[in-house]
Amino acid sequence: MSVIKQVTRDEWRFWHRTKLAATIIIIGTLLTLISAVVNTLEMQHASHEREHLQQSAQAQFLEQPDRHPHRMVHYGHYVFRTPSALSIIEPGVDAFTGTSIFLEGHKQNTAMFSDQRQASGMTRFSSLTPSFLLQVLVPLFIILIGYASVTREKEAGTLNIMITQGINVWHLLLGKYFALVSSGLLMLLPLIVAAIWASINGESAWVTSSFVAGYILYILVWCGIVLAISAINQKNSASFAILVSLWIVLCILLPRIGSSSAAALAPSPSKLEADFAVKEALRKLGDGHNAADPAFEQLKKNLLTKYNVDKVEDLPINFRGTVAQFSEKKLTEILNQFAEKRMQEELEQAYIARQFGWLTPTTAIRSFSMLIAGTSLETHHRFLREAEKLRFEFVQSLNKVHQDNLNYQADANRYKNADTAKAARVDAANWQVLSEFTFEPDTAETRLSRSLIYAIQLLFWVGLIALFLRFAVRRIS
Amino acid sequence: MQKEMIVASSLCVRFAEQTVLDDVNFKVGQGEVFALLGGNGAGKSTTLKTFLGTIAPQSGTATVMGMSVTKDIDLIRRKVAYLPESVMLYGHLTGVENIKYFLSLADIEKSAPDIEQALMRVALQKSAWHRPMSNYSKGMRQKTAIALALLREAPVLFLDEPTSGLDPNAIDEFNRLITTLAADGATVFMVTHDVYGACQVAHRIGLLDNGKIVGMFERKDQAHIDTEEVHAAFSARSQQ
Repeated sequence: MSVIKQVTRDEWRFWHRTKLAATIIIIGTLLTLISAVVNTLEMQHASHEREHLQQSAQAQFLEQPDRHPHRMVHYGHYVFRTPSALSIIEPGVDAFTGTSIFLEGHKQNTAMFSDQRQASGMTRFSSLTPSFLLQVLVPLFIILIGYASVTREKEAGTLNIMITQGINVWHLLLGKYFALVSSGLLMLLPLIVAAIWASINGESAWVTSSFVAGYILYILVWCGIVLAISAINQKNSASFAILVSLWIVLCILLPRIGSSSAAALAPSPSKLEADFAVKEALRKLGDGHNAADPAFEQLKKNLLTKYNVDKVEDLPINFRGTVAQFSEKKLTEILNQFAEKRMQEELEQAYIARQFGWLTPTTAIRSFSMLIAGTSLETHHRFLREAEKLRFEFVQSLNKVHQDNLNYQADANRYKNADTAKAARVDAANWQVLSEFTFEPDTAETRLSRSLIYAIQLLFWVGLIALFLRFAVRRIS
Repeated sequence: MQKEMIVASSLCVRFAEQTVLDDVNFKVGQGEVFALLGGNGAGKSTTLKTFLGTIAPQSGTATVMGMSVTKDIDLIRRKVAYLPESVMLYGHLTGVENIKYFLSLADIEKSAPDIEQALMRVALQKSAWHRPMSNYSKGMRQKTAIALALLREAPVLFLDEPTSGLDPNAIDEFNRLITTLAADGATVFMVTHDVYGACQVAHRIGLLDNGKIVGMFERKDQAHIDTEEVHAAFSARSQQ
């Protein structure tokens, strides 16, 4: 043990005295720290803004004067989702999908106000999130620190002296490995602090500790790759060239190829095609704004029979409101079918892309990180479903007001003049239909079970690297 | 004869079809300085590497302190000291730090006065002790490595071309140091192509040519081996 400790200590002494490695460690740690702090501040700002907007949107809705209820359906309402505590490190799909939805009648809007959508063209691809730093840049920093760990000993001839002095090569490599891992962990420090902060703020300790453990495994893998490559090569230059090429392949190319392959293997229609198909299906439903549309003839007959009257004017309810309710229900069923199909396609693509975690540890940690942080596609889909449920309830509540509280005749004549328009209004007290929307993060059990396979992918990489290191030790011995 | 510390017996090493060492036999006793002399490609480095366990012999045996290089190489490595042609310790560490570090790798603990004493014994100037080794000359690095060997109390020293690249004063200093070490009981095995240097310091010289020992020279009554005799044999072999 003392030999391993000595080698680790000397590695740190070397980095300290040669300045370059020490500078990289400081830059890496500062970058992740700054990124985490900036992200936290941005999220706090966004959270306050969200709270303010939520309250003001609700107040504005409730402050609307007496109106025709269908105008309130189109006035709409916003719902906001509070991101999970760990999203200060791993924004996941939130950066692309957004965390707010505008709810209105006859439409399922996509989430909005995402960072990526709000960014200008120049900043769109330059978002330096802590997770991006940890998943992509920290491996590069580890390469810069450790590419010469063993090759410099070979070039200098000191390895030869150590071997002929009888040092156990495993001890030598382990000492260097621990030094490299400790430098990586230093860059992970902001994440550990953020995870503790998340735990204090109510996040499950199982989730936060698994989140940190996943990143530690990732650091172990990259340190192992760097050390093994350095150990099997003779020259610093060769080790550096191979490691940088590997970084490009594992951190940049393969994750991209994963996404492209997923899109090719599980193709989904373009937005234009999908919108066209939805419109086509909706057209068959009839226009919910027009009670005389032939599509509602059967509904009319059923109601007239039910209430035993001859014409809609004699119905005890506002037929136009009933049509609005009926139409919204049918429309929502169609929209939900398309939405479920789209979500299924997105999940299928995500699943294919995530299998690339067996080919690159970067995809493995990315999948693990998003799932455990609760910023994955699955969580976003649940948000869409819950928001849609709320939208439907909210719209149907107003349609019910339309049906029950507004006279059919007054409603039918509302466009005749200002007086009839005024007569076709309902009391503003009816706007108290908004349910409070709270989106709870997935439970710890759900997130842990979803991310298990990707934890296994990371462990697979750790095993593979252990074998690679064993091979390197044999080569040196 | 003194205790046999290094023994080559019918040692043969082949690389593919090429025989590099062919039936090499010699014995080096305790306190003896043995020089293996030969031209380029004669097999000197291969012999050295065989004793250090980095090349395995096809046949014959090589032992150090009675231990076989094929079976007990880890034990042998812990006992012996090896000085490559160009001693490269860590440039970012001082001489003292280098010694402490390499001793710690061998799990040996020595006090500061012990280290200072060893450095004084190898005549490394005191002003250099705490300077980074990147500023050391070859001779200074060699002295540091020998100080390390002394502190490790290595009974056997393997030296690869130890005087190559040293200035005449440094060579004299080195020869004196080796002679003193041998007088104190250390066994020194060196490979070199420096005929004069070998004759000055060695008790015996083995002349290696094409993987075979073709001559053995030793001090008789004189203080040094006869340089003329060795030189003549070396030149004759070189011209063949």
